Amino acid sequence: MLPALGFIICAIFLAMIWALFKNKKRISSSPIGRFFFGFLLIILSIGAVNYFLVGINANRLYFWQQTIYGVSLGSVYALIALGYTMVYGIIRLINFAHGEIYMIGAYAGFFAVASLGLPFFLALMFAMLTSALAGVLVERIAYKPLRKAPRLAVLITAIGMSLLLQNVGQKVFGSIPRSFPRQFTGLYRIGELNIDQSRAIIFVITFLLMLILQYFVVYTKPGKAMRAVSQERDAAQLVGVNVDRTIALTFFVGSLLAGAAGILVAIVFPQIRPTMGLMPGLKAFVAAVIGGIGIIPGAVLGGLIIGVSENLVTAYVSSSWRDAIAFGLLILILLLKPSGILGRNVKEKV
Amino acid sequence: MKTMEKHPNRINHSPIFIFLGLIALVFINIQVLFDRLDFYVVGVLSVVAINIILVVSLNLINGITGQLSIGHAGFMAIGAYTTALFSIHLGTPIYINLIFSGLAAGFVGFLIGLPTLRLRGDYLAIATLGFGEIIRVILQNLRLTGGAAGLGGIEWFDNFFLTQFVAIAVVIITWRIGGSAPGRAMVAIREDETAAETVGINTTKFKVMAFALGSCGAGIAGSLFAHRMTYISPDGFTFMKSIEVLVMLVLGGLGSITGAIFSSTLLTLLPEFLRVIDEWRMIIYPALLVIVMIFRSQGLFGTMELDFGQVKNLLEKLIPRKPLEESNNPNPRLEETVSFGGVKIEGKGPILETKNLSISFGGLKAVKAFDIQISRGALHGLIGPNGAGKTTIFNMLTGVHSPNAGEIFFNGERIDRKSPNSVARSGIARTFQNIRLFKDLTVLDNVKVAFHLQADYGLGTAIAHPPSFGKAESRITREAKELLKVFNLIDHSMTIAKNLPYGAQRRLEIVRALAVSPKLLLLDEPAAGMNTLETQKLMELIRWVREEFNLTILLIEHDMSLVMKLCQTISVLDYGIKIFEGTPEQVRNEPRVIEAYLGEEVS
Repeated sequence: MLPALGFIICAIFLAMIWALFKNKKRISSSPIGRFFFGFLLIILSIGAVNYFLVGINANRLYFWQQTIYGVSLGSVYALIALGYTMVYGIIRLINFAHGEIYMIGAYAGFFAVASLGLPFFLALMFAMLTSALAGVLVERIAYKPLRKAPRLAVLITAIGMSLLLQNVGQKVFGSIPRSFPRQFTGLYRIGELNIDQSRAIIFVITFLLMLILQYFVVYTKPGKAMRAVSQERDAAQLVGVNVDRTIALTFFVGSLLAGAAGILVAIVFPQIRPTMGLMPGLKAFVAAVIGGIGIIPGAVLGGLIIGVSENLVTAYVSSSWRDAIAFGLLILILLLKPSGILGRNVKEKV
Repeated sequence: MKTMEKHPNRINHSPIFIFLGLIALVFINIQVLFDRLDFYVVGVLSVVAINIILVVSLNLINGITGQLSIGHAGFMAIGAYTTALFSIHLGTPIYINLIFSGLAAGFVGFLIGLPTLRLRGDYLAIATLGFGEIIRVILQNLRLTGGAAGLGGIEWFDNFFLTQFVAIAVVIITWRIGGSAPGRAMVAIREDETAAETVGINTTKFKVMAFALGSCGAGIAGSLFAHRMTYISPDGFTFMKSIEVLVMLVLGGLGSITGAIFSSTLLTLLPEFLRVIDEWRMIIYPALLVIVMIFRSQGLFGTMELDFGQVKNLLEKLIPRKPLEESNNPNPRLEETVSFGGVKIEGKGPILETKNLSISFGGLKAVKAFDIQISRGALHGLIGPNGAGKTTIFNMLTGVHSPNAGEIFFNGERIDRKSPNSVARSGIARTFQNIRLFKDLTVLDNVKVAFHLQADYGLGTAIAHPPSFGKAESRITREAKELLKVFNLIDHSMTIAKNLPYGAQRRLEIVRALAVSPKLLLLDEPAAGMNTLETQKLMELIRWVREEFNLTILLIEHDMSLVMKLCQTISVLDYGIKIFEGTPEQVRNEPRVIEAYLGEEVS
């Protein structure tokens, strides 16, 4: 009964996306269509993994419980990955400082809840805005002057910004981890399955944000400007797009999502520390690459894949191998299909 | 055009840095030798030397070959753990451990490099990051390597002189590689991978070679590190360590060995001084990095120093040598003594033949069932409106794109499944429609790179520098200069290619193609952007080249007057299909050709 439930949930998820984008003619050529197939792939793999792992452990319930945990963790990765993918799409930069933006979001949320006593959803807004401003500031200070510089220089600057923010964080917030006040301690039960309220909230908010983002990028004017700049910056400028403002906006939106990820992760894993951004940042980037960098549904897909596989590795192998799975998947994907699951292989023009 | 300044882009003071560095080195050695320095200070100097090894070896991958690796710490870890295991279990001395650590890391680098180096740019960076992390996680989980706790009890060995010696050896080896044919191949890959392939450089081979050598260096550094620390754990080889090395490299300037040495020394010593304000060190350090990048993004030294000629020039001034014999032949023709590849046209049948050649990109069928036969010594034209598929055919002929269907025979040998470099090896050279020179190299180096196939020595020779190396190198330089002279480019030989006037860039592309000593030369719109006079000259040049080098030439051109006057046979392409083939006269009068160019007549 439980596997069937899993399939039904996925199917609903797919149907919603499908309904939203049914006007697309060719399924295989639209990113959303490929998202659909990507998701089918995940369901099949989870089914296969389920078959093997349950064979070992003979505990179906445990498997699905872990998969659900994985989905909520994956949602956090997905939110961070969205920022990575958008920034990469528009200025071809791996924004290493993005993990720190996520950390800032967590701290902003912490202070909003613990010091200002704001209700959670206001704190969420506060965290998102703080992160967004931080993201735009980083872009303004560190990346904008380097717009014409070699890509590697910008990459190094990003690494420098990441280290800087981490260490400034240590100074400002102290290196001792803080404990985020407990939120949403409720528990839903579906059959024999436990779903914490907090994890459900993570997933729902991520999903909503992704839909809003997809709408924003595809249908609104600034979103179209973003896509134009990401394809051909000079031409976009010629037709009147304010490139600098569009890039800043991209950082703003990407950082909004990272801020949301920061506070959302804290309601499930309440320990926050200044160095918390490093690993999730890297893994979120890996998620973006796995899904196909520059492609919004790809980032979500990649995030979910990494979240689920990490949790399954922790559950069935050992938590010390957890960090290897993300990078292992990354290398597998890069070798099989460097442009990512939803990406298209582009031949170099000679 | 002849009055071009000789070193437009060159900073000529690098030897001063080197000599200052040498003086500092001698000074430090005297100090250490007479025990004038604190134990701690000597230790810091060893760390400097280890970091120099790391940075210089990473420079080989990132700077010289242009492959972005950000997982160097992983290879350092492999070296360190190899040493630890050898030292703990076998009790071997450091000299043996150094060698095996280097080999182990180099071997892993080879294994990892082979599949990943197909990736370009950022993707490669991410893959190396992934591998670096995986190596660390594996070390963390193996019982053999002591898990997260790491390994202790490695024999303590921290001799500044040995560390220094290894560092200097690594620097010299990298230096020598940089000045040899394999090094030029690596630089060519950095500048333009596709163009490098088309002059016969096996890019995969040299990328993997650079990667394995760089990893080997990291392994050696890891070995020294392990012997110095006596205790190692996976925490010492995290992503942050890789970044630290990369930062040192980039700060000094990618591709500059001098810069690498300078910045690794600076960044190792700086924290020692900043320790006074220790509290703020970790903030100042990255802030400094960001500031340097914003205000001098090419690093402190840029790519200065990639050309090792300056040091050599300086040495030559100090130690008088027999100068290279310059020829004073006023006639800008070839000297009898020098013969360029240009094998006599021999064999039977057409030199090039394609059958049913087809390719499509996505839904677009770019070329459909293209058949052509080019006879030996011919000057064959390929014309057609924009987007007809002419350049795509060139790309298929040279192996850049592999056709979906059909066969290509060159000299009777099937070449359509070959890589671009082996196509070049079998004797096809080309130029590009949108000039693809190695644009940050000098004109001379552009040609020397293309003499790659004639450089009949390997990496070992390049490192060991036996007399045969010098002979081979001076032969290559002489022949390259000879070619430049013939094409009136000798005065520009030290100009950076991208600073050449447009017409000269086109000529240089032809020179570069000829340096491959081809039997068939493919010219892709050589007259594009030229005026009538320049086109006229070019036409004479092409005719002359064909005679002098015994070539067959296939030419894509839009300039009808040029094609009509030059070519004996012309093939006309439209929408990927060959619509006509014949003599210029026939082509001129063929209604289908006129229709393709001018559209259908209104009737």
